[in-house]
Amino acid sequence: MATRHHWIVRVTHWVNVFALGIMVTSGLRIFNAYPAFARKGETFCCYPFAGRAVPDWLTFGGWLAGARHWHFAAMWVLVVNGLVYLGFNYLHGDWRDVTPRRGDLRDAWEMVKFYAFARRDHPRQGKHNALQRAAYFAMPVLGVVAVVSGVAIWKPVELGWLTSLLGGYVWARYWHFLAMIGLVGMTAVHVFMVFSVDPYALRAITTGGYNEEKSPEARNARPFWWKRAQPAAPPTSEAS
Amino acid sequence: MTMNRRRFLQVSGASITAAFFAACDSQGPEHAQRILTMAEHANEHVERALFRHTSMDRAAAGARAAGAAFPQYYVSDSVPVWDETVRGPWTLEVGGLVERPVRLDLDALTRLPRVSQRVNHFCVEGWTAVAEWTGTRVSELAKLVGVKPEAQYVDFASFDDDYHESWDLASALHPQTLIAYGMDGRMLGPGHGAPARVHSPVKLGYKNTKYLVRVQFMAQRNGGYWSDQGYEWYGGT
Repeated sequence: MATRHHWIVRVTHWVNVFALGIMVTSGLRIFNAYPAFARKGETFCCYPFAGRAVPDWLTFGGWLAGARHWHFAAMWVLVVNGLVYLGFNYLHGDWRDVTPRRGDLRDAWEMVKFYAFARRDHPRQGKHNALQRAAYFAMPVLGVVAVVSGVAIWKPVELGWLTSLLGGYVWARYWHFLAMIGLVGMTAVHVFMVFSVDPYALRAITTGGYNEEKSPEARNARPFWWKRAQPAAPPTSEAS
Repeated sequence: MTMNRRRFLQVSGASITAAFFAACDSQGPEHAQRILTMAEHANEHVERALFRHTSMDRAAAGARAAGAAFPQYYVSDSVPVWDETVRGPWTLEVGGLVERPVRLDLDALTRLPRVSQRVNHFCVEGWTAVAEWTGTRVSELAKLVGVKPEAQYVDFASFDDDYHESWDLASALHPQTLIAYGMDGRMLGPGHGAPARVHSPVKLGYKNTKYLVRVQFMAQRNGGYWSDQGYEWYGGT
C-alpha cells in the first residue's frame, strides 16, 4: 500500500489543526471584547451583526488578556508550521497536486455535476479532484491573508505601512475576521467531505496508508454513499 | 468487549479530548501558562526590535474625531476629580533617576513646548478612536529633568485609585508620547483624565495613564494596574 502523504505533510496538517483551533477560538474571545468594526463615532458599512458577541462556548482563553496570550503564542506555531508546509511543498514538488491547472474549471464543474447526480460516473482524477485542488490551494492563501492582516493589527504603528496597505486598522481587522470566516467555512466543508465521501483519507493523513482501490473515484463515492443502496458499477469501456 | 481499531480510535480520541478539557480552567491547562509567559517575553523582544522613533501614527484623512463617542474610562467608582480644597493645587511630580526633580503646576506644564497631534487611540479591546491631543512630549520633560543613564523605565502614576503603568524608556521618549492636557482643542475633561494624562499611539490604551500625578524614571520596571492583572506589560502598537 502506497504512502499517500509525506510525513511532513501529515505532521504539519495536525499541528495546523491544533494551532488554527487555538487561533480561531482565542481570536473570537478577543473579538467579543468589541464585536464590531466601526471606529468610535463612525459606522461601518459591512458588518450587520455589530454589537453581538459570539457564544462563549466557541471561545477560548477565559477572558480578553488570557485569550490574547494564547493568540500571540499560537501565532508562532501557526506561522512556523505554515512555512514548513509551504517550504516542503515547494521543494518536494507536492505543490503540483494542490495547484489549480488548465481545465480545472471544467473538471470542477464535472465534479459538481457528479455530486448533484447529473452525472453517473466519478470524473477521472489524480491524487485530488479539481474541487479539492481549488480548496487546498485557497486554504494557504487565506492563511497568508489572516497572518498578514493579523500582523497589521498587532503593530498598526510600527508596521503602519502594512496597515495602510490593507486600508487602515479598521479594514485590516475586518480582513482578519473574513479570512477567519473563510478558513472556518472551508474547514467545515473539508471535514464533512472527509467523513461523508472519503473516510479512508483520515488514515492517509495520519499514518500515511491509503488503498487506491477504495478511493472515491474507484468507489464512485458521493457524500454518504453507504447510506444508499450501492448503485450498479458504472459501465466501463472494457464491458461495453 | 473486543476492541477493533475503529473502536480504539473513538475511545482514545474521546479520552484525549476529555483530558484536555478537564485540565482546563477557563484559561486553558495550567502548565501552559509557563509557555504563554515565555511567548510574551519573546514577543516583547520582537516588539522592541520593531520599535522606531520614526514610526509615526496619523489618523486617516477621512476619519471622524470620536468626540462625545470617545469612551471615558477610570477604575474608581466615580469620575476621579482633583479636589483642590482637599488636596491642594494639582501638581505633576517628575522624579526618580533624574538630575533635577521638578514639581510642575498646570501653568508650568502648559508653558513647556507644546505639540498637537491628530492620532488614533488603540484600545486593547479592538476599537480605535480619533482625537486631537495637545500637550508636551515626555521627551521634553526628560530633557528638563535630566534623565540619568541608568534609567531604563518610566512609571506613570495616577490619582485614580492606585492606577499606574510603567513603560520602557524608548516608548516613553517617542515623539508622539505626550503629557496631554488638551483634547480636540479644549482643556482635558474629567472623563478623559483631567488635568493631565499620558497619551500615545505607540501603546495600547491601558498603558496611557490618565489623571496623572507622577512621572518616575526607574532602573527597573514596576508593572502596572492592568499588567499586574494579566495584560501584556509591553502593550505596544
